[in-house]
Amino acid sequence: MMPDLARLSFQRDGDVELAQVAGEVDASNVGDLSEELLETLSNDVRAVVLDLTNTSYIDSSGISLIFDAAARLRNRRQEFRLVVPPRSFVGEVLSAVSIEESVPIDPAVDDALAAVGSPD
Amino acid sequence: MTPDSTQDQQSGGLATAEEAIARLEDVQRVTEVALAHLDLEDLLNELLLRVREILRVDTAAILLVEDDGKTLAARAAKGLEEEVERGFRLPIGRGFAGRVAATREPVVIPDLDNSPVTVVNPLMREKNVRSLLGVPLLIEGEVIGVLHVGSLTSRDFREADVELLQVVADRVALSIERSRLAVQGQIAEALQRSLLPRTLPDLPGFELAARYLPATQEASLGGDWYDVIELGFRRLGISIGDVAGHGLGAATYMGQLRSAMRAYALDVEEPAEVLRRLSRYADQEHSRMATVIYATLGLESGIVRFARAGHPYPLVLRADGKSEFLAKVGGPPLGTGARYEYDEQSVTLAPGDTLLLYTDGLIERRGERLSEGEEALVAAASAAPDDPELRCDAIITELTGDIETSDDVAVVAIRAVAFDRPLEVNFPAQAEQLATVRHLVRRWVAANGGTDDDCAAFAIAVSEACANSIEHAYGPTDETIGMRADLEDGIAAVTISDRGSWREPRGENRGRGIPVMREFIDDVAIETGEKGTTVVLSRRLGERPR
Repeated sequence: MMPDLARLSFQRDGDVELAQVAGEVDASNVGDLSEELLETLSNDVRAVVLDLTNTSYIDSSGISLIFDAAARLRNRRQEFRLVVPPRSFVGEVLSAVSIEESVPIDPAVDDALAAVGSPD
Repeated sequence: MTPDSTQDQQSGGLATAEEAIARLEDVQRVTEVALAHLDLEDLLNELLLRVREILRVDTAAILLVEDDGKTLAARAAKGLEEEVERGFRLPIGRGFAGRVAATREPVVIPDLDNSPVTVVNPLMREKNVRSLLGVPLLIEGEVIGVLHVGSLTSRDFREADVELLQVVADRVALSIERSRLAVQGQIAEALQRSLLPRTLPDLPGFELAARYLPATQEASLGGDWYDVIELGFRRLGISIGDVAGHGLGAATYMGQLRSAMRAYALDVEEPAEVLRRLSRYADQEHSRMATVIYATLGLESGIVRFARAGHPYPLVLRADGKSEFLAKVGGPPLGTGARYEYDEQSVTLAPGDTLLLYTDGLIERRGERLSEGEEALVAAASAAPDDPELRCDAIITELTGDIETSDDVAVVAIRAVAFDRPLEVNFPAQAEQLATVRHLVRRWVAANGGTDDDCAAFAIAVSEACANSIEHAYGPTDETIGMRADLEDGIAAVTISDRGSWREPRGENRGRGIPVMREFIDDVAIETGEKGTTVVLSRRLGERPR
């Protein structure tokens, strides 16, 4: 009944899973989000797109979540892409830790879905 | 006097001077001050022993009226110990002791075999008690029990015997009453103390203080309460209430209401709905009337939403010195049986504003109109210091200082921190606090000339520093983090201090907090000492070249 700091929702598009995070991600909710994300991502999808368009805040605990997810998906040979709007606060935080060197970043969901399968 | 004892009257006077002196000594033996130091049990036993000796009787017993007001139960006995051991009880009006209680007069039975009063206690027969004298234990004309003595040989109790026994009875009655009040008072006070919150939460952005003042008049402990409920997700629930009446009953019911309120508050968001449910609960209890306010406080918005059932108006004291009673919504007290759809009112606490909740003991004075009390409250609250703790003390001193309060008083003050410089707050070292801390920092930076970028930079850097404190510095105990923000020469400096030492980052994904802080903040100084870790985050505020 009480609103959460962040909500995680999923949308399946063929063999691509689109996960969207709305709200704020910090140490208080990253555990729950991580659990929910990793539990929902099944082995049978080819790629996962994590959409942070509506994520208003993320800190180092959220960054860790992304790195963890990236490592796990890499092990399962699944593709992983991030959607981060340019010049957003989240984009600034992620670029501070050079996340684009580990996970490809697209400016919008359509771009990410179109890019799935293409060599980066 | 009952007919049984009037026949004794010719021999009622005192025969000689020696006898008079002896009687005086007897009276002294049962009214001795030293006896007052005994606890009730020992005192009753000692008095029974002495009275048996003085009156040269074989049995002595005390029976007390039970809570139902209809039954006598044996409480202490000498020579008839089995009466207590067997838990002898009899209805008021029946038997010998029952008759004493019913008539509130001494009863004398010179000979049990020829008595118009039927003695129902089989022990009297077993023990071969022959003659009996009983007197009532009276408190303000109400009978609370019976004291009786018995003789195994036939005996005419004289007027002087009756008088002496009545002196003892009065002494016993007073001691029992005092002891009952003391026990009740102790229980009620302990109950009250255990039901009021021991500590109030440290909140980023708000300062809380509360006081509870028992009535100064003896044994009039009331049913006032206040409560603070951490509702999670940046909301706080606050209740204040007053159960009608005094003593153990009021305190117990207060505990029930407070618990019910808590349960509803955790489940229901709207204050009016919480009150509607509490009202139905109160009606079902068929207990006393109670007044109550339930309020929620948004820790980021500063919005207070409240509903009120017969309780005095909340008072808002604005930062600029203005004040207002919040009187738009209300409704009947709980427990009237009236179905009422409580409504809610809201008010926003801007930085520096204070909300004051209190019970009527603070504003009600004998012989004064309520409006006078309210005016006095506004005057006292406005003149008081801003700090909630100091403000509560000042208000209470001003309004209750020089009078005996016949009612207890509860006061709660909540102040939205002002964005003066420097800003100093403490909050629990819990991850759940981070979002609220970020919000507070953003608002403080904005209020001191920071741009959106400045706000975002400080929000994440402060949040990272706090997260480090929470993760590294503390176990699961109730620790707090201190934050201080100040502005000097256009440079904002926010200091985060804890009492732990940050360990080296573990694993490859750890330790990103410090780089993130450095990315957004011009100068990050981390100092770990014996007393804890301090982080100072400094950044020049204002537009900067991209």
